[in-house]
Amino acid sequence: MNIPNVTHFIHAYKVAPWRIQRQWIGNALLAVVTLAMVATLYLDVTAKAAIAGREIQDLNAAILASQQASADLQTDLASLTSASVMKERALELGFRPMIPEEAEYLIVPGYAAPRPVILVTAPLPQMSAPSIPPEYNESLLDWMDEKIAMSAKGIQ
Amino acid sequence: MRQQYARRSQALTYVMAFIAVAVVVQMLRIQNSEEAAIFRKRASNYAYELRTFYPDRGEIYDRNGHLLAGNKTVYEIGVDLRAVKDANAIANALNMELGTDYMTAINAIAYPSEDISYVVLADFVDAESALHLQELKQTLQQQAPEGVSGGLTGLDFKAHPQRSYPEGALASNILGFVTREGRGYFGVEEKYDTLLAGNSVKVLLPTDPNKAFEIPRVPDGTNLILTISRDLQSAAEQILDEAIFNYGAQGGVIVVMDPRNGELLAMSATPRMDLNRFWEYGAIYSNASEFNPAISMPYEPGSVLKILTMAAALNSGSVTPDTTYLDTGSILVGGVMIQNWDQEPWGLQDMTGCLQHSLNVCMATLSTQMGAGTFYSYMDNFGLGHLTGVDLAGEAAGRLKIPGDADWYPVDLGTNAFGQGVAVTPIQILMAASSIANHGRTVVPHALSAMVRDGRQYNVPAQFAGSPISDQTAATLTAMLAHSLESESSLALVPGYRVAGKTGTAQIPVNGYYDPSQTNASFIGWGPVDDPQFMIYVWLERPSASIWGSETAAPVFAEMAEQTTILLDIPPDNIRQQLAAR
Repeated sequence: MNIPNVTHFIHAYKVAPWRIQRQWIGNALLAVVTLAMVATLYLDVTAKAAIAGREIQDLNAAILASQQASADLQTDLASLTSASVMKERALELGFRPMIPEEAEYLIVPGYAAPRPVILVTAPLPQMSAPSIPPEYNESLLDWMDEKIAMSAKGIQ
Repeated sequence: MRQQYARRSQALTYVMAFIAVAVVVQMLRIQNSEEAAIFRKRASNYAYELRTFYPDRGEIYDRNGHLLAGNKTVYEIGVDLRAVKDANAIANALNMELGTDYMTAINAIAYPSEDISYVVLADFVDAESALHLQELKQTLQQQAPEGVSGGLTGLDFKAHPQRSYPEGALASNILGFVTREGRGYFGVEEKYDTLLAGNSVKVLLPTDPNKAFEIPRVPDGTNLILTISRDLQSAAEQILDEAIFNYGAQGGVIVVMDPRNGELLAMSATPRMDLNRFWEYGAIYSNASEFNPAISMPYEPGSVLKILTMAAALNSGSVTPDTTYLDTGSILVGGVMIQNWDQEPWGLQDMTGCLQHSLNVCMATLSTQMGAGTFYSYMDNFGLGHLTGVDLAGEAAGRLKIPGDADWYPVDLGTNAFGQGVAVTPIQILMAASSIANHGRTVVPHALSAMVRDGRQYNVPAQFAGSPISDQTAATLTAMLAHSLESESSLALVPGYRVAGKTGTAQIPVNGYYDPSQTNASFIGWGPVDDPQFMIYVWLERPSASIWGSETAAPVFAEMAEQTTILLDIPPDNIRQQLAAR
């Protein structure tokens, strides 16, 4: 095959209608596949976020239930160790109230007289949701909205 | 052929493009249609729910961390009318388990008000009863044929907290109580109601799980730590109950305070009520001032007020401890004859003798010597006639008549000096006398030691209300009072501890006249004298075994002081002095 023929063949190949159509179809398919991938990703992220949100709601309910159970137990414990109950139990065990003459005072170096109770030792960490970065709770559309708004601001 | 193929392809492309455009147009049309707007509106009704978050009421602890007021879960039991299958079964179950009226429940379910889908049948049901009903509901559901709802279908249980007092009636007069509406009445519960209750928050809560982070964090009410010692309070209540029984008194009060900082360590009064049964309040008390007479029931204190008269006389320089005076048994003040309690002359006395023998004539002499201006100025500085500012709801100010008042007469200058014609509350006497035990400085009595909120504890500092007398006067008067107790071998003496104090026997006015057979017996005392760590006030109302404070209130003081030294780990004087010498 001589060179003009080769050139002619390449030209004919390039302008062949079926090739242009195939390019169009290829591009269209690529766009569809890309959109499908984005949609799948979006669906996956949204589903995961929804599941996480539902878990947060469930955990909040569980926290409330635990707090109620804790308050109940604390009150029950206080009832079981109330002054009247403890006194009754002590008498049943054979104890009796002490009289002042029976008190013996010992000198204990470094002993400090009891002060009113301190119920907290350190501040609790702040466990509030607003500290979660936006990446973990915004949707793809939210993210795009934000980017568009930011670019619009940049243009202005 | 090729052209035909190209045309077909083109036509197919147009058709496909048209269908795609049509789909998009149809989507846009549907989304912007009136029906879509209606659906969106309907959906928005379920997108958010308005909920009010009620924080748990703050807990109340004693100074050692014992829970005095907490919360426990109770249930509201209601019926979802849309789901009810058998109203008869529900009414029967509630009647058997809770004792509710069968017909009331049937009527509530069968004939509800319009537009109501939920009816509350019982509230504040204890957890045990609610659990029984829940188990019964489950059992009936399991026994029902497949696909058929159980008999108690529609019965709904909603948990919520309710105030609970593990100690029952202990310290009831200090704590107060909370009604089912969540409002505090009396004592700490009313005084700190806003702090304890926290702030309720009403929010639109998204049902969308993607917005779960919008659930608000509602902080619970503030926890309070009181200055009260549970064990000392228990001892004070027991001692008071025994004293009322032994001396045939109609009522009484014992208050224990730290005179150095005003911390109330115990405050017992009668009658008391089980705070878990607050609805019995009306059956126990006839008026609000009876709930805590220590702060809200003014009365004529009698001779315990003589310590204030003597403090004023010493501090103003009118007398010294050695100043002598000839007691003739009577004195004329404002045209009225004032006599001693025994209507006898006591001859030559010094000021310690005046206190030791509780001579009315001596006190009237001192007040008239000082003059009305000086005497009432001191009484005012001691806080008589004013609220002490104690942080318990329902405090009464008492009454101190002063010259210029329509009902003040010149004789009042004489009678007020020994505690007649003046109305004070026990807490006022404690506050006034604290200046004598605390180097001349008056402390403000208080029951709150600290607040705990958001993981932080805020301690409440002591407050002082002035210095009506000097440190020297306070020391001198304390020594005089201690000496007078020792000289007469008072029943108020506490073995191993030097204490100072004064009895009071005040006749009670009946129909405008003082009835000698009915008295208020009282005692104010503090110790150890060289380093006062407790101040105790005892008031017995109308004791029948003896009318005298020296025979009734004084031994009660001694018993209470003994218990106080044991429970607060206060060593006897000799051991403390050994420790101090090291």
